[in-house]
Amino acid sequence: MDNLAILWIVLLPLAGAIINGLAGRFADRKLVALVAVGSVLGAFALAVSSFLELTHLKAEGVEDPRLVADVYQWFTVSLPSATGAFREVPIQVRFVFDSLSGLMTLVVTGIGSLIHIYSLEYMSEEKSYARFFAYLNLFTASMLILVLASSLPLMFVGWEGVGLCSYLLIGFWYETPAYAAAGRKAFVANRIGDFGVLVGMFALVMVAGSFEFTDINSASPEMTAPMVFGGSALEMSIATFACLFLFLGCTGKSAQIPLYVWLPDAMAGPTPVSALIHAATMVTAGVYLCCRLSPVFLQTPSAMEVIAVIGALTAFLGATIAVVQREMKKILAYSTVSQLGFMFAAVGVGAFASGFFHVFTHAFFKACLFLGAGAVMHAVHAHGDADIFKLGGLKKHLPLVRWTFLLSCLAIAGVPGFSGFFSKDEVLLGATTVAMVETPIAPWVGWVVAILLTLAATLTAFYMFRLYYLTFTGTYRSGEGAHADGEHAEGEDADDHGHDDHGHGYDPHPHKPGIAIGLALTVLAAGAVFAGLLGLPHHWLPNWWHHWMEPSIAGLALSEEASHAMGPVWAAMGMGVLAMAVGVGLATVQYRDKNEDTFTASLPKGLFSFLFDKWRVDELYGATIIRLNKGIAVLSGRLDKSFIDGLLTGLTSKAVALGSFLFTRIQVGVVHAYGLVMVIGLLGLGWWFLYPHAELEVETDGAAATLQAGRGLGYEYRFDLDGDGAYDVPAQPTRVTVRFEQGATGAQLLRAGMRVRAAISPEPWPADRAALGRLVSQRGGKTYELTPPLTRLDDVRAALEGSEGIASVRFEAVAGAARFAREARAEARYDEGQFATDRAALLIAQGRAEPIRILLGTSPTRIDPSVLGPNGLGVREEGTNLPPYAWVEDGKVVIRPNAAGAVIAGQEPVERVELGVGEATRLGMAMVRAAPVVRATVEVRNAFGNVARESVDVILEGASASARAQLVPSSLHPIEVLR
Amino acid sequence: MELGLGAYLTFASVLFGIGAVGFLVRRNALVQLMSIELMLNSVNVVLVAANRFHPDNHAGQVFAFFVIAVAAAEAAVGLAILIALYRLNRNIETDRAHVLKH
Amino acid sequence: MTDAKFLLFFFCAAIALAGAIGTIASKLPLRAAMSLLVTIIALAGLYLTLDAQLLAAIQVLVYAGAVVVLFVFVIMLIGPAPETSSAPGSVVWRMLSLVGIAMITATFAFSFVDVASTWVAPPAGFGTVRGVAGEMYTKALVPFEIVAMTLTTAIVGALAIARSKTASELAEMKRRRVAEDASAAAQPAE
Repeated sequence: MDNLAILWIVLLPLAGAIINGLAGRFADRKLVALVAVGSVLGAFALAVSSFLELTHLKAEGVEDPRLVADVYQWFTVSLPSATGAFREVPIQVRFVFDSLSGLMTLVVTGIGSLIHIYSLEYMSEEKSYARFFAYLNLFTASMLILVLASSLPLMFVGWEGVGLCSYLLIGFWYETPAYAAAGRKAFVANRIGDFGVLVGMFALVMVAGSFEFTDINSASPEMTAPMVFGGSALEMSIATFACLFLFLGCTGKSAQIPLYVWLPDAMAGPTPVSALIHAATMVTAGVYLCCRLSPVFLQTPSAMEVIAVIGALTAFLGATIAVVQREMKKILAYSTVSQLGFMFAAVGVGAFASGFFHVFTHAFFKACLFLGAGAVMHAVHAHGDADIFKLGGLKKHLPLVRWTFLLSCLAIAGVPGFSGFFSKDEVLLGATTVAMVETPIAPWVGWVVAILLTLAATLTAFYMFRLYYLTFTGTYRSGEGAHADGEHAEGEDADDHGHDDHGHGYDPHPHKPGIAIGLALTVLAAGAVFAGLLGLPHHWLPNWWHHWMEPSIAGLALSEEASHAMGPVWAAMGMGVLAMAVGVGLATVQYRDKNEDTFTASLPKGLFSFLFDKWRVDELYGATIIRLNKGIAVLSGRLDKSFIDGLLTGLTSKAVALGSFLFTRIQVGVVHAYGLVMVIGLLGLGWWFLYPHAELEVETDGAAATLQAGRGLGYEYRFDLDGDGAYDVPAQPTRVTVRFEQGATGAQLLRAGMRVRAAISPEPWPADRAALGRLVSQRGGKTYELTPPLTRLDDVRAALEGSEGIASVRFEAVAGAARFAREARAEARYDEGQFATDRAALLIAQGRAEPIRILLGTSPTRIDPSVLGPNGLGVREEGTNLPPYAWVEDGKVVIRPNAAGAVIAGQEPVERVELGVGEATRLGMAMVRAAPVVRATVEVRNAFGNVARESVDVILEGASASARAQLVPSSLHPIEVLR
Repeated sequence: MELGLGAYLTFASVLFGIGAVGFLVRRNALVQLMSIELMLNSVNVVLVAANRFHPDNHAGQVFAFFVIAVAAAEAAVGLAILIALYRLNRNIETDRAHVLKH
Repeated sequence: MTDAKFLLFFFCAAIALAGAIGTIASKLPLRAAMSLLVTIIALAGLYLTLDAQLLAAIQVLVYAGAVVVLFVFVIMLIGPAPETSSAPGSVVWRMLSLVGIAMITATFAFSFVDVASTWVAPPAGFGTVRGVAGEMYTKALVPFEIVAMTLTTAIVGALAIARSKTASELAEMKRRRVAEDASAAAQPAE
């Protein structure tokens, strides 16, 4: 943590929010005010000192001065790197105070402090005093997190935080349903935008491999690569994709087309909120984000063109609507939408620093205008909003408000010398530069933007002075004024979410504002006048702003001559001044000292109502998106009722009901019925005790096999281990071990089935078949020549041949003494030379740990071709792809790999493969080995003399090729396939 | 015919079967209690007979003694319940004693 | 096995089975009790063939002398209540049970016939008072004490269940029933 002051800038308002939020309702109002205003003022003081430190560093010649507070590591995320390996990327909680965020912090804390002070007086009669200030402090903290965050995720925390506070403060008077609805509308519109921010963030992070703004910006040259989405490349670059989605987020937060609809409704909140959140700070977060990521935006001219056109359209749309509105705050709200459009137009034409300059100046004059409107409403006791046609002549009553309001109007209208003039001029200059000088952005975009912005500027000057004249000149009507447009407007107002609480008389004696309101207005008006001096036209005068912003905001790279071209400069200045002159002049002629709206009434009726109804965008959304949504909701509801509740739940409950009905039938209540159930249980128990259960299990290990029979009271066991039908050991309850001498009696005792044993590869086959060998034939399927398996086979053979056949049989009764044997186990080790049988097994190793075992008899057994591996068996002729068969014949296992003839691993096709005991070969992709099989039997007898027998085929996988066993033909046993 | 443990076991199982049939078929609670006594006695026969063929100790006879004792207790309690039932229903038919069904 | 024992076994077994069938087949409970008495005495004879003299004596004393007498007392108390008609459905269950029990009995009985065994000479004192008691009071002392407690508990329980109500208890019950009727009448019919 390098700089504690930066951290405390965020923590102070947060602490204020927590204190006031938790304890404020119990505390004295003065204490609440002290905590709220003190925390923000403290943050402002820290911001000022940090800013001075920054300027000091800059003066010392530091390229990109920044103060960093590294708080802690929040969490880490696994991101794939270019090589595909994942690595842990930390997300730091780190605050960076640099030239861009520093200035924004000053604005947030400075204007925030003024508005807190203003609110002390404005909200003095509010009963939820502490709640208001807790929200306001929380907003300040969130906004500071947004501004100071060094990475996208942390910025998103602030982004969501200000969204939450906006929602809470719009719906501050939540008892009024319309206000709560306005809050919800803001929240929902912002959610759509937030989705865009997240998608854009992920796209950027995937390329940059980091969440930090500096890393993302330095990785921006790589972002011209095409966006890969779902495995296929889109026809746009990563930068375009990310920037368009980020801009979707900005349209939500900064009220651009198409998501701007929430901002005018947001005026339902208290006026200081409108000034702070919905004019000066939060709504400019989108512009701030674009400036932060300006190098990324510069990589994508197409996305910037979209932003420029949408920004200009928004500016124009907002201005046209503001012309005909009649409530103070509503006019200012649409003015804000319009001015935000100016800022985005500047961003779109690559004039990021100019756009941010407009953010800066706009913060002063728009906050001052809102606070002035609030002061008027406070003076005349208008709740919610004030109808300008019912005011008028207030300059006599409220001289301070009048003068500050007038200065701000001059600023926003762009009167030369005022702040708005300089910033608007910069924006227009950006547009005319694009239009007239060679840049990556299409010139037509520059022209469209310049013309639309000029029109918007004209309208701005007009409606601002319309507002000023109608409010402050003429005669005071105390809410009794005539309606310029009669019942029409009244009817429209009725469904205008009902927050226009006008028409029922204002206070006939407006009272002057107190010290707090006056102070805030004065300071802000001073800012509105002088803030522009930071960005004087650089062609003639020193421009501090661009010099200051250079390290943190990128701009369009212009050639030397283009940057000194005077054409765009004159065009921009001419257009700006002309627009101001026309707008102010027209408004002065029409409205000065008048109370009647003669001008807008003279507009064509259709045009007027179209504008008055805000281009009917809300209605359009209602008829399309919201209606569609409601339709889906109704459909889902019906589906839920009929399918889920009706069918699924209904069926389940019916099934349960049926079951319970059946079970209750059993409960007849007749004692004898219960007795019968008992008898049935006794029958089962009696069967279990009277008849033994063999439950024979076998486990083989090479040429040895262990057989295990089940356990039971009083059981005796006899085992036949060689399949000759005679029991090798007499039934004995006690432990007996019998040893057969090798080769002596073995022939008689163990005339067991010899089985062909297929090779078991000691390891699984390599998964990659191509690595096994080369493709030698594709005729009728692919045939591989496999080299490694041959050596592997030899290894297997050697291992198997090395095992000695020691014949021994052990029989023992385990666990249990005397007559009551509990279980029995027999172990047999088979001498390879002694087997003679008609049964064999094929063991097929096919790239897996456990071989497939197929039992064979004397009649042909079909083998599933797939166990021999894909394309393992070449087909000689088309359409004769019959499955392989195998059987026991003349002491050998005969395999016909394919009834039509087979290709075995690149050799000549063979019709017939013969395998002796223990021999192995390769068929297709698989290793096949013949193994002997012994049929072992156990006989279990219990105390009642009842007997159970069970047989099992024991496959002796360890028998080797040297075994001299014979396979004797017979057809005693059915053929089974074990899989 | 050689008479051994098998004969006693066979006899005991038949006696047990008769007792079980009596318990399940008769409805008179008194007779059912008597059937239970029959079954208990058949078990006693098995215990004593098995003891006779493994005469190392008296485990079977001692166990049979305990069975007799418990049977006596069972008879006492069972008959008491029967009397209570008779007081309630004025009969001792077990298939009419189904109040607890519901 | 001596011929005498052989004859005694068949004699006693036949009488015991006859008595058992009489027990479950008699219409009158008193006759059933008398048949049970016959069975029990025959079983005591069987115990004698198995060299269990003490147990034979206990069989007669406890069963014939106590349990059967208890049955007879109860029969006398209740009176010769003839069986009424069966509850509906009950007959089917009973016949099914009869078949099932017959199957089980037959299975077990035929399985047991072949169980082999040899008569070994019992050690001296087998089945005598000294032999059984010596084992019961040494190896089986704890179960013996537990059985003693079980019997005591059973007697107390039987008394509690079977005793008739005292006059004061009856009065209390009547008072309560009247109160319940009154409250039921006070509530309107639903």
